Amino acid sequence: MEPPKIWRERRERYLGIGIICEDCQKKNFPKTRICPDCGSENVKPYKIAERGTLKYFTQIMNTGDELIFNTPYIVGLVELEDGIKVTAQIVDCDFKELRKGMKLEKTFRVLARNGKEGLIKYGFKFRPI
Amino acid sequence: MSEKVGIIAYGIYIPRNRITVDEIASIWGEDANEIKSQLQIFEKSVPFPDEDVATMAVEAARNAMKQWGGEAEKIGAIYVGSESHPYAVKPTATIVAAAIGAEGETTAADLEFACKAGTAGMQMCFGLIQSNMIKVGLAIGSDSSQAKPKDPLEYTAGAGSAAFLIGKQDIIAELEGTYSYTSDTPDFWRREGATFPSHGQRFTGMPAYFDHIIKATKGLLEKIDRKPEDYDYVTFHQPNTKFPLRVAKMLGFSKEQIENSLACKYVGNTYSASSMIGFAKILDEAQPGDKVLVTSYGSGAGSDAFSFKITENIEKIRSRSKTVQYYIENKRNISYGLYSRYKGILKV
Repeated sequence: MEPPKIWRERRERYLGIGIICEDCQKKNFPKTRICPDCGSENVKPYKIAERGTLKYFTQIMNTGDELIFNTPYIVGLVELEDGIKVTAQIVDCDFKELRKGMKLEKTFRVLARNGKEGLIKYGFKFRPI
Repeated sequence: MSEKVGIIAYGIYIPRNRITVDEIASIWGEDANEIKSQLQIFEKSVPFPDEDVATMAVEAARNAMKQWGGEAEKIGAIYVGSESHPYAVKPTATIVAAAIGAEGETTAADLEFACKAGTAGMQMCFGLIQSNMIKVGLAIGSDSSQAKPKDPLEYTAGAGSAAFLIGKQDIIAELEGTYSYTSDTPDFWRREGATFPSHGQRFTGMPAYFDHIIKATKGLLEKIDRKPEDYDYVTFHQPNTKFPLRVAKMLGFSKEQIENSLACKYVGNTYSASSMIGFAKILDEAQPGDKVLVTSYGSGAGSDAFSFKITENIEKIRSRSKTVQYYIENKRNISYGLYSRYKGILKV
């Protein structure tokens, strides 16, 4: 939870900014300097889709101090409408309500709090539509 | 007023959890029916542990952006009013700016004036736009209010957010006038570092809520030469349902003029967002030509009154984002045990 890292990654976490390769046209998230598909350095920022489908999910019961306020929490693999797959927390629902193929949309939540006095890390999670 | 200014879009957010008055009363052995008949509130909203004033402000702002359809770079001012900002030092407004893609050439600040900090931001945006300093402004009221267990406030202290985009182009609710009344009245406060607010019990009524709302509303009506019966809708700050109904009657408004705006029955007192959510609920159903009067109240104390005329543009933007009713209905009820964990009363 160092300030430079939180600052550097804010667009990625707040807005879902990944990359699109101008050579092979493949989209990727999280962002990288080099296209992971063709190795080109000719990449530009790309905002991932707002909605997607739940592919796989699990519930985390135990965690470190940073996330203990939020346990148990659900993590899912979400296939977005633009084909990108992301791993993120699924919120606003109980574990027993989840089904494969459920439609989800992005929401803005607290990802972690660094104790009582440290920084708060914000970013996207998904909730059922 | 020289050039027309007004609301160009709005959005709200209310967390999904609710706790009923019955559930809280059962913990303290109090008579739930008596409390419900006094306050006329049935349940209140409770944020998840991963929600705070910043996340709710972002959700409301994004709903307003979706309704507007304009570019975030055009926003020249962002104000977030709250009495429960997540940081004591470090603005919520910059988090909102980044999360809606409006970082860069814009001014931003957090405001604090108990429950009227959101409408104070609206007034600032109207001023900046009318003086041609900015083109579009974003004013947000967002709160996740705290209440000491067993305090009467525990039945009503809810959470929610409302965001209003203000500008000159494609106005949905044109500003006809605004008037504020302020005095140093110690009815409700929280000292630096204190976890829970304190209040002056019955002192929060007559010399505080009622006096300020009445003076601001009457001041506005006189200033723009209007009478209560000229309005189709009216809303006031909603600390419970009883207070706004009573102040409406004292001012000469009918129950029909205010009734539909009273979201507090189902979500509690959303503090800085309260009168703004009431206004949003009116905008969800108002027709072109309707006249709307909104008066906020912030302890400490002050009231901002606004008069609006709805334009035909309201029809175009209406279906673009979630309504107040959607958020009222999208809920799940929780126990006092889960509530105390979510509110941090129960510590891990």
